Parts: sequence; structure tokens; C-alpha cells
Amino acid sequence: MHSPPSIWAQWHASPALLLLVAGLAAAYFGLSGGRWQARGGLYFTALGLLALVEASPLHYLGMHALFSAHMVVHIVVLLLCGPLLVLGLPPALPSTVARRLARFSGWLRGHTWLAWLAGVGIMWGLHVPAVFDASFGGLDAAFGLPALLPVVAMLLAGALFSWPLVGPTAEAHLHPLAGVVYLFSACVGCSLLGLLITFAPADTYQHYARAGWCGTPSLAPDFASNPWGLSLADDQQAAGLIMWVPCCFIYLGGCMYLVAKYFMADEGVAPPPAPPLRGRGAIRPLTLASVRLPSPAGEGPGVGLH
Amino acid sequence: MANTTVLVPEPARPLPGLSINSSQGLLQWISSVDHKQLGIMYLWMALLFMLVGGLEILLVRVQLAVPRNTFLSPEAYNQLFTMHGTTMIFFVAMPALFGFGIYFVPLMIGANEMAFPRLNALSLWLTLFGGSLMYFSFLAGGAPDAGWFNYAPLNQFNYSSSPGVDYYCAGLLLAGIGTITASINLVVTILRYRIPGMRFKDMPVFVWMMLLTACLVLASFPALNAALAMLLLDRQLHAHFFDVTGGGSAVLWQHLFWLFGHPEVYVLILPAFGIFSEIFAVFSRKPVFGYAFIVGSGIAIALLAFGVWVHHMLAVGLGNTVNGFFSASSMLIGIPTGIKIFNWLATMHGGSLRFTVAMRFAIAFLVEFTIGGLSGIAFAIVPIDLQLTDTYFVVAHIHYVFIGGTLFGLFAGLFYWFPKMSGRLLDERLSKWFFWLFVVGFNGTFLVQHVLGTLGMPRRVYTYPDLPGWGLLNMISTAGGFLMGAATLLLVYMLVTAIRRGPLAPADPWDAYTLEWATTSPPTLQNFDRVPPVRSARPWRDHKRPDDADHLKPGKKKGVHGK
Repeated sequence: MHSPPSIWAQWHASPALLLLVAGLAAAYFGLSGGRWQARGGLYFTALGLLALVEASPLHYLGMHALFSAHMVVHIVVLLLCGPLLVLGLPPALPSTVARRLARFSGWLRGHTWLAWLAGVGIMWGLHVPAVFDASFGGLDAAFGLPALLPVVAMLLAGALFSWPLVGPTAEAHLHPLAGVVYLFSACVGCSLLGLLITFAPADTYQHYARAGWCGTPSLAPDFASNPWGLSLADDQQAAGLIMWVPCCFIYLGGCMYLVAKYFMADEGVAPPPAPPLRGRGAIRPLTLASVRLPSPAGEGPGVGLH
Repeated sequence: MANTTVLVPEPARPLPGLSINSSQGLLQWISSVDHKQLGIMYLWMALLFMLVGGLEILLVRVQLAVPRNTFLSPEAYNQLFTMHGTTMIFFVAMPALFGFGIYFVPLMIGANEMAFPRLNALSLWLTLFGGSLMYFSFLAGGAPDAGWFNYAPLNQFNYSSSPGVDYYCAGLLLAGIGTITASINLVVTILRYRIPGMRFKDMPVFVWMMLLTACLVLASFPALNAALAMLLLDRQLHAHFFDVTGGGSAVLWQHLFWLFGHPEVYVLILPAFGIFSEIFAVFSRKPVFGYAFIVGSGIAIALLAFGVWVHHMLAVGLGNTVNGFFSASSMLIGIPTGIKIFNWLATMHGGSLRFTVAMRFAIAFLVEFTIGGLSGIAFAIVPIDLQLTDTYFVVAHIHYVFIGGTLFGLFAGLFYWFPKMSGRLLDERLSKWFFWLFVVGFNGTFLVQHVLGTLGMPRRVYTYPDLPGWGLLNMISTAGGFLMGAATLLLVYMLVTAIRRGPLAPADPWDAYTLEWATTSPPTLQNFDRVPPVRSARPWRDHKRPDDADHLKPGKKKGVHGK
């Protein structure tokens, strides 16, 4: 009987991936003037995570056998790496770069829906069955470049999605409570997709339905002998559920971060007061001396239970 | 805005063509668009339906008091328990919570009226007529009889051929539209009509929870309304949405129902959490402990509501993969709720407690709701769920949550706000009698049902064999039910006598913190002429104790300075 190669030995770093990670690292030092700056750890955590999920056995499993593993990779790249890259951008930038970024942030602030659409759209777009199956097309191409395209797209989408919340220009951030709505609606968008994948017919994604793919038949999910004994249907359900449930918790974590930020914000700085009621008379500030609060019961007709 | 107060704009035309002093009596109420009158009518409606729904379940309990009873026919039994559940959730708990919301949200945020007064009236009447329509089914050939969640295929024409389920659909659609319009009204009111100076972080917790509740309603009710419309199509026009033989899916009903139904659980509990937060703070003489955590965990609960509904379907057979995910996520729901419980305990800690009846209900809630919460966590464990689903353990769980949580919240709110709404004080001695009767009756009814469920007694069967212990436990449960019934009658008596000849209530009988106490009891048609400046979550207290105001001690809001 053919014994499969150990999964744990399947580390594959394509040249394109190495170039991408190196390029992003170089970009950091280019932007920071060659210095390590505050929150640089976040940036390089993102790069580390990216390298890890794209080169590790998890990636191998995702590409060749398990949709659920593939989904974990997607979520890490889109919802962790992208936002962490933005969070980890050097605070002190060269003035021209800072100006450009500020202009971009300001523009994006006026087009928040674009950022939202990038984050949700990439999820939906990549999981259209035809697109999804096609994304595996160039696995053996030189340098692994075609296979890296979806990864770059997800990184960009993740960065764009998180930009209005944690981008480098604090003035262009969404109000934290608006950010909660932003994240929540995105969460619903992804949950719906996760739900669709969970309850879709098991052969919706042909890539995983084809047995014996890439010469490792024992890893193909419709073989009962695969290491986890997952059936094709189980695997697809798990993938959908990963997008549906744990993914929601990432958004929820973001929401809690924003709520904490809102409540911890400087007490002294009050946001602008609520706008006056339209067409119902002006609101005049009065001095405390002129406060005339109604006296206890008996004054005027009441609206009671009578 | 130092030391300023703000003139509150008056509603343009609060009661078109009718004076508040008019002699038109009932007509004046029916045509009212005043949020206080509408709120009170919501509460009366809830009380009326509570009496009806309570009567229905007492008949059921009589039937179940002894084994092999023939007091009710199986058909009547099915109709009664279905109507009891539907009534209590859609026409008692929801209208009562929204009644408090519609009455007190504008008062608490210093507004004179809701954003859309006429829409407000429409919401009330839609809900009332929705309920009436559902009850009309008794005269039209039979009430709904497929349980309050009305599962397919039982809700299909060939299994439930009386028009009851059609009335269920129509009644709930109407009431659902009323609830959605009321929620839109609340959201707009809270977002746009807060008195200038009141930031989100200065809003009373009750207002926060009503905002979250309204958002939950807006996100979840469309699923129910769509499902009801689809079911009506199935039954009336022979569509096949839920008809398996015609290519439909019975499980689809469950998904749609619980996509609504689980957020609905939080719709019913979040406002109660808001009420409790006000009450614990006022009667402990402390700011609520960890305001940000209470609000933040409320937001977390609202968001999680949409990620866990499948735990109602663990026994459906969706597979271990699905069950595993939802089992795990459901256990996580316990965290934000647990945070709140500890917040309230910490609010009481070191406070000078006043054991008014409102506070007693709040403390009883901590105990009862925790029991319901723990049995809920037990259900998140799939093997336990498979064993106990559709037994009396579920019945016990749902009642510990809805009575120990929602209804106790409503009672606490009623005893807290009654003086404000009526201008009268309730009889303290009778109120305590009511409290003890109800709490003892409640635990007598439902605590034993945990045992019955574990022994394997299925719910929704009209009678049962004489197995060891079953008869006795059911008899205890029935006796407890009648105790609650007696307590409810006592409540009605207390309310009526207090409204007629109770002692006059002062404007601020509890020395409370929020703006509704800054106006008269009962408030005049125009809630406020002007209100004190809002610079903390306890503006009325700041106004009464300017030297000790919260905004002078920023740490105080977080509850760290004790009293």
C-alpha cells in the first residue's frame, strides 16, 4: 500500500513568496528611514504569519487536500496579515510619503464603502466556484507567481479594509462606534458566504472533488483514508463554518477593540454635540441660575395612568 | 458648555386637535401620538395578554397535574400551549419592553417626543391588532397548534389543516412590522434626539440597551417576516418552500426561524439588562460598576446573537462538524453575560443597599437568571442537548431565562418606574407579598421541571403515564403555577388600587440619577421645559449634588470610588 509522505515535511516556499516577503520587509525599512520604529513588531509579525501560512504544511494541505485548511490560510492573510501590516506602518514617515498617505486616507474616508467592499468582495469573489478552481491553475508555473496573485489580492484587500479603522492617519479614522457597524456588517457579509459554503452541495468546489490530485491520493478528501478521515462534505462544511464562526470572532475582536478605544478616549475631549432638532426651534444655552425644573407632582396636567 | 442648561424644543403638534384635558376619555387615548401614553398602552396591552396567556397555561397545568388526565383534548392542549408561548413572547414580553423603551427613552435622553410620533402610534396598533388577529383564530376554526416556533412540516396544510397557522402568520407579520417600525423610531430617536451634550458614553445603560435591541430587531425580524410570508404562500397558494415532497426544505424553516429566534432571545433580555443596570445603581447608591464593560458586553452579545443560532438545531442532524462549531461558539456567549452578572454584583458590593421591591426583583434575577444561564451552557454541550432536547429540561431553561430574566426585569422596571408613570405609589406591603408569591411560585413551577426533563418527560405531550415521581413533580409544578397566577391577580389589584387611590408620588421618590426623574410624576405632556447639563451618565444626580458631581471625579464613573 502506498504510504503518503509525512504532511509535516511539506514546507514549500516559492521564489515569488520569498520575493514578496523580502520586498515588504524592504519597504518597511525604506519608509522608516532604515530605523526600527514603534509597532514594527506588528508589521513583522504580519510578514512572519504570511510566510508561515504560505509555506507551511497548512498551505500544502490547503492547496492539495483540504478546503478547510485553505480557508484558514485565507482568513489569516485577509483578516490578520493585512490589518497588521497597516497597524505596523512606521509612525514617523518621510514627509512626502506622510502627505501622500494622509491624502489617500482622506480620500478613502469619503469612500469608506470601497474599503468595506474590498474586504467583503474579495471573500465573495475568490469563492465563486469557477474563480476558486481557476486560482489553483498555475501552481506549477515558474516562480509560483500565478499562485501568489490571490494572496497579494487578499493582502491588499485586508489592508484596504482595515485602513479606515487603523490606518496611519488618525484624523481620517471612522468614529469607533461607526467602526463597530462597519465591522459588524462585514461580519454578516462573510457569515452569509460561510453559510452558503456550509450548506452547498459537497462537490461545489471541483478542485477538492477531484480525487488523486497532485499525486497524493491518500490526501484527497473523498478518500476515507486521509489522515483526518474527513469526507469531502465534512471538509467543505468545516471550511464554511471557519468562515462563518471563528471569522466572526475576529470581527468581534475588532469591535471590542474599537469599543474599548471609544470608552478609553480622553474624557475631556467631547465630540461635537448632536445636531439640533430640525424645524423645532432653536436650542438656547442658558445659565444654571435660570434652570427651571418642574416641581413635584401637582403641577400641570399629567399624562398618567388615569 | 460650563454650567449651562439647555432649552428643550417642544414637539410641534403633540396631540393634533385634542387637548390632554379633554373630556373625550378613551378617544383621547386611542388617538394619542404622545410617547408616554403609547408606552402606557403598550404596557396595558402586555398585561392583558399576560392574563390571557397565563390562563391558557393554567389550563395546561391542570391537564398535566395528574397522569392520564382527560381534562383537555389533545387538540385543545396543542392550541393552548402554542398560544401561550406565542402570546408570552410576542404579545407580552416584547410589547412590555418596548412600552418601557418608548416611554422612558425620550425622557432619559432629554427629548420631548420620539422622532416619529405617528409611526409610534402605528407600531402600537399594529402590534395590538396582530395579537387580536391571532386570537380571532379561536373563533375561526381553531388556534395555531404547531408550537410557538411552528416547525415544518407540522405547520404545513396537511398536518395542520385548521386556519390557526394562517392566523399565526398574519398576526405575527403584523406585529413584526409594528416591532420593526418601533425599532426604527427608537434608533432614530436615540441617535438624533439626545439632548446636546449627551455623548454616547453618557447615555443611561437602559438607553444603550434599547438602542442595541432596536438594531437587533432591525437585523433579525426580516428573517421571520420572510419565513412567515413563505409559509403563507405554502399554505394558501401551494408553494413548496417548506414542503419536502415538493422539493422544499423543512430545515429551511428552522434556519429562518432561529436566524430570527436567537437574536430575539437577546431582544428580550437586553432591555431587561438595561433596567437592572439602572436599578442596581440607584438602589446601591453607586454608579453602575464598569459602565464601559456593561455596554461593551451588550454590544458583544448583540453581535454574537447572529453567530450561534444553529445551537437551537443541534439535534436536527446537521452533522458533527456543524454541531462542534456551534457548540463552541455558544459557550462563548456565556462570557459577556457573565461579565454583566459580575458587574451588577460589584455594583452592589460596598453600596448602601435599599431593598425596595424593584431591587428585590433585581437580586432575584441574579439568582434565577444564572440558573437559566447555566442550564443554557449545558445545552451547548451536544451530547447533553441530544439527551435533553424536547424534554421538560428545555421548558425549565427557557422559563428561567424568560421569567427569571425578562419578566423579572419587567417587574423591576414596573416597581421602579410606576411612581413616575402614574404619579402614585404602590402599596409596599402588598408589593412584597407579590414578590414572594411570584418568586416562590415560579421556582415551584420550574425547578422541578429540570428533574422531570432529566427523567425523560417529553414536552408538548398532552398527558403522560404514571411513572415513578412524575405525578408528584407535575402536581408541584401545577401548584407553583397557580401560585404565580394568584400573584398576578394580586399585581392587577395593586395596580388598579394604586392608580385609583394610591398616595401621591413625588417627582423623584428614589433619589435617582437619570433625567426622567427631573420632570414631574407623571410627566406633563411636554416632558421638559429645560434639563440640566449632561456631563456624565448620572446627570440628574450631578444636578442635585453639584459639589459631588461625577464629572468632577473622572474615576468615579468607573465605579472605583465607592459611594
